[in-house]
Amino acid sequence: MAEDARLGEIGLRLKESPMRRNFLKLCGLAGLGLAMPFDWPITARAKDDDGAYGGPYYLVFNASGGWDTTYLMDPKGINEINRLYQEGDILTRGAHKFAPTAKHQQGGMSNEDFYAEFGDQLLVLNGLDYSVNNHSPGARYMATGKLDSLAYPTFAALVAACQGPTCPISFLTFGNYSATGNLVAMSRVPYLPSLQKIANADAVEGNARSPFHDRFALDRIEQALAAENDARAQEPRLPRLERAENMLYAAQVNSKALQRVTAYIPSSIPKERLSQQAEIALASFKAGVCVSANLTIGQFDSHANNDVDQMKLIPEFLAGIAYVLRRAEELKIRDQLVVIVQSEMGRTPTYNKGNGKDHWSIGSIMFLGRGIQGNRVIGATDEKQFHIPVDPKTLACDKENGIRVRPEHIHAALREFAGIANHPFSKRFPLGVLEKENLQGLWG
Amino acid sequence: MAFAARLVAVSVAVLIGVVLAFGEEIKTNNGPGCAAAVDRFFAEEVWTKVGAQECLKCHKTGGDAEKSKFVLQDPQRSQGADRDAAMRHNRAEFARMAQVKEGEQFRILLKATGGLDHGGEEVLKADSTTYRILADFVRRTNAPPAERLPGAADDKHATPFFDGVVMLDDRRLLRRATLSLAGRLPTEAELSAVAVGGLNALPKTLDDVMREEAFYDRLREAFNDIFLTLGIDGNADAAVLSYEHFEKTRLWYQKYDLSHIADKNERQRTEWKIAGEYRKALLGEPMKLIEHIVRNDRPFTEIVTADYIMVSPYSARGYGVFDELKEQFKNSDAPFEYVPVKLKALAGRNKQENQDSETGFYPHAGLLSQFQYLARYPTTETNRNRLRARMYYQHFLGVDVLELAARVSDAAAVSAKYEVPTMQASECVVCHKTLDPVAGLFQDYWRFDANFAIYGKRKEGWFTDMFGAGFEGDDLPTEERWRSLQWLGERTARDPRFAVAMVEHVYYILTGRKALLPPKEIDDPLFAAKRRAYAEQRCQIEAIAGRFAQNEFNLKRVFQDWIVSDFYRADGLATVAKDSARRAELDDIGLARMLSPEQVERKVNAVFGTPWGKLHDQMAMLYGAIDSQEVTERAFDPSGAMGAIQRMLANEVACRQTLRDFAREPAERLLFPHIEPSVVPATSPENDLAIRRAIAHLHERILGRHDAVDSLEVERSFQLFAGIVSDAQMQKGIERIENYHCRHNVPDAPADPHYTIRAWRGVVTYLLRRPEFLYE
Repeated sequence: MAEDARLGEIGLRLKESPMRRNFLKLCGLAGLGLAMPFDWPITARAKDDDGAYGGPYYLVFNASGGWDTTYLMDPKGINEINRLYQEGDILTRGAHKFAPTAKHQQGGMSNEDFYAEFGDQLLVLNGLDYSVNNHSPGARYMATGKLDSLAYPTFAALVAACQGPTCPISFLTFGNYSATGNLVAMSRVPYLPSLQKIANADAVEGNARSPFHDRFALDRIEQALAAENDARAQEPRLPRLERAENMLYAAQVNSKALQRVTAYIPSSIPKERLSQQAEIALASFKAGVCVSANLTIGQFDSHANNDVDQMKLIPEFLAGIAYVLRRAEELKIRDQLVVIVQSEMGRTPTYNKGNGKDHWSIGSIMFLGRGIQGNRVIGATDEKQFHIPVDPKTLACDKENGIRVRPEHIHAALREFAGIANHPFSKRFPLGVLEKENLQGLWG
Repeated sequence: MAFAARLVAVSVAVLIGVVLAFGEEIKTNNGPGCAAAVDRFFAEEVWTKVGAQECLKCHKTGGDAEKSKFVLQDPQRSQGADRDAAMRHNRAEFARMAQVKEGEQFRILLKATGGLDHGGEEVLKADSTTYRILADFVRRTNAPPAERLPGAADDKHATPFFDGVVMLDDRRLLRRATLSLAGRLPTEAELSAVAVGGLNALPKTLDDVMREEAFYDRLREAFNDIFLTLGIDGNADAAVLSYEHFEKTRLWYQKYDLSHIADKNERQRTEWKIAGEYRKALLGEPMKLIEHIVRNDRPFTEIVTADYIMVSPYSARGYGVFDELKEQFKNSDAPFEYVPVKLKALAGRNKQENQDSETGFYPHAGLLSQFQYLARYPTTETNRNRLRARMYYQHFLGVDVLELAARVSDAAAVSAKYEVPTMQASECVVCHKTLDPVAGLFQDYWRFDANFAIYGKRKEGWFTDMFGAGFEGDDLPTEERWRSLQWLGERTARDPRFAVAMVEHVYYILTGRKALLPPKEIDDPLFAAKRRAYAEQRCQIEAIAGRFAQNEFNLKRVFQDWIVSDFYRADGLATVAKDSARRAELDDIGLARMLSPEQVERKVNAVFGTPWGKLHDQMAMLYGAIDSQEVTERAFDPSGAMGAIQRMLANEVACRQTLRDFAREPAERLLFPHIEPSVVPATSPENDLAIRRAIAHLHERILGRHDAVDSLEVERSFQLFAGIVSDAQMQKGIERIENYHCRHNVPDAPADPHYTIRAWRGVVTYLLRRPEFLYE
């Protein structure tokens, strides 16, 4: 029963079934984590009553294509960096400085409104060194904290694997770089009602009153599958087959939990891109079947007509974030939400001949949510939009002795924050950040 | 100079790992190149961990340090004896440099750590493993001969790589192959042939399988997973055939005479149907080219050299070539019957937009010059065809130039420091010197809105702040510009990396996995094991590539070679691999690929006679399919959502097929030819034996297992069957017929008084949820 005890520590409980004991063993064999001895993250909690994962829930918002940070959280208004405002137009809200966009936005939500509503919860890090100017490696680096490997999982996948290995759609993605490191299955749910179709898989047309099999027959089938898996576990298997077979079995076992999602599928689906993704993620969170989600919108790559594009997309992006936070409030899971807002690169401090801006390797990242102290800005860029080093101990700018904050520093901090830094999965994918470079007190 | 010129879309990409040697003579793939050319310490330590990863980036012909006294050769650019020679050359270069001293210190160590004004600055940190390896090499090189002991790596890996790995038996291998290639079970004749001839009989059998239509369906589907040409944005009649060059023909269906259809609505529906099929026909052309090449055993190099495209009666009308081709079609109204055609050079709406051509024909170069390929990978003013160049390298030479971009110490500063970083900053040049010339070869396809045009020259002439058009050291001759993509295709076909890339593509098709990349973390305790896994697979890839080249690039041979290889047949272990290093070596071995939605449907069809029919559109996406546009990589690990779909599939297919099968005459049954519902377990030994035999038949049909009637596997299924029947007998009010949904639409459905039909349905459900069915 030691396995049960470990399971209880994180409160993840499967309903009693013929498969349960077997499943726990399989998870360990599959490298899915449950049977591995390690310190479970204290930040993970789950409801005890129905086995649902209860949070925290991680949402990674991605502005795909490269956002212009000088039109959001790192305003300049000098050196012809911005054509839509001057330095004197820059607005403040608490500790935040931000670009004025209310006059220029094309739909969505202005910076003014966003900061008014969320500024006190918002942590901004400016002067982040993306280190590369290319979409593909930039997206990979920002998502995983590792530039030169295709094997590393994204943070969203890693935290899902560590904290919700039994959740049926533990890691949900709508795009962006989504590698899993073979730790957890990636789920794509293109349309929320499609979940409804599969939620009651053992019933005809999903109608629970019309089961395919009589209860006793279905129980026998599950027992046979459990026995089969038990038998397979006793045989010597190639590592890959072992992993694949265990993942398959776990997927079928866990799939029953999808029934919980149907209660949270809204009657109407919003039109906006991010809001549609958000509804799927939030319903899955609320149902306790999901740990993390990548939400993304593209077209930020404004090589032509930068200001027009960014004034359309940044407000759309912010409106999407606001939508999620408000809906989470309605669903009463807002206090369990951790939001990361990022892009794979920034835009140059000058305009090109097409009124666009090209790729720039210095940018920003934002956070808000559970356990994050808001109303703070860390790091900075100078008047030419170059990064200013940061003292990792004090988080103050220190041009002489500071470090270049790169994605691996952010990811190391995120792993600590999520309580998974010492998880075997995390250790399998080391970030190589020196102890002295850990960003201390980043989360407040 | 403005940043616009300096900071182009692919500006500070730095290429390492996948090193593009430059300016070296292209040599056709001439066979396997796995022989050891130099000592293991140099090959596995110095070269693998230091030379290939660091030095070769610049110290090569065409590299930033090509004029230094230390110029290396890239062994990956050659095969067999040529590769051995390259390694010997590199060994000699390292040894020579290791003996040169600056004062009391060795020059190579000083340079590597950034001393002596090293152009590449610090590439090895003094406290790093890589430095220690290099220092060890220097010590060994300068030691007295008696002290030049072999390195620790010398005696490793004495056992064969596949030692202890259990291979799939020939019968199951055949089933795996026929399902994978043609979506069907093997025939009795094929099984007999393999039973008699063993593995040696398989290539001939596979050759026959690869003549079936189903194989070509699979082939097109699989190569679209790689080239993604179905993912063109917008309607194909506009996105493929531009207004500029096909203004009068591309919308032919709008004027197509449908006057014989009296009803207006019916006429409209017919036009929509024709339009839909026309667009589909256009989209299908690139993969039809691949099919044509493989079907006719033509050299697969034609995917970059073919001087024709494939058109159907519908798409031919769009190009305006239908009248000259109509005699070649068996059915000139068949939307998807394709024939090859060589297009005439494009004629614009005005002469300025006419295409240059010395022959009067469009300079076809296989996929490279197809409108679909160019439209799927478009360019922009700032991208300057670099996306196309990148995809060219990835698709045809197996090199992902952005895969392992190195971190630049300060990319923003580099961008700001140089007027043209891509030509001046060494961090940028290392990649752009290779990438940009290929981008230049696409220069005459310089239109940004495919609806308007794809072909067209840049008015100002091609960019001068880029490396000029060419290919890996060869400049494009001016007189060849009009056929620049043909010029590229010819070189591609001769490049040994082409054969390797195609072999890797087939590996991906068969396994769902990309070929291994060399491990990078040299401090990883499992580095040697991972390196060995990579090397073994690489050796196999190159061996197959060598035979591919020698067999006139017949792609079928590559399928055959992979299928009979240990990599495809590996299925289990004789004993548990407890050692972590051995487990790391075997980590990627074994197929274990979850079937794609399309494959699941085909397999259900093969086993039961009809597909499930639900794995399409959203359900397919939920099950890991791609749309070739936004979602371009299949998901092969099952999520809970996929697990639910598998339950649905098992329940529904079992429901639909079990009673239906019993309703047939025994001789016509697929699932239960030798058992009747009246046979109840635990009533006689003969009945139990008959049930076990029926189970063994089901195992073979559904799972591909050949289990003895007294095996544990059959016993487990028997207990399931008997348990359900027994449970049912203890229930009150159980109906004597199958449930409504399962007997719906089954004519002459037999009754189920003993609950045996429903118990058999339970067994079928159980089997359909097993990995042997859901995985390849």
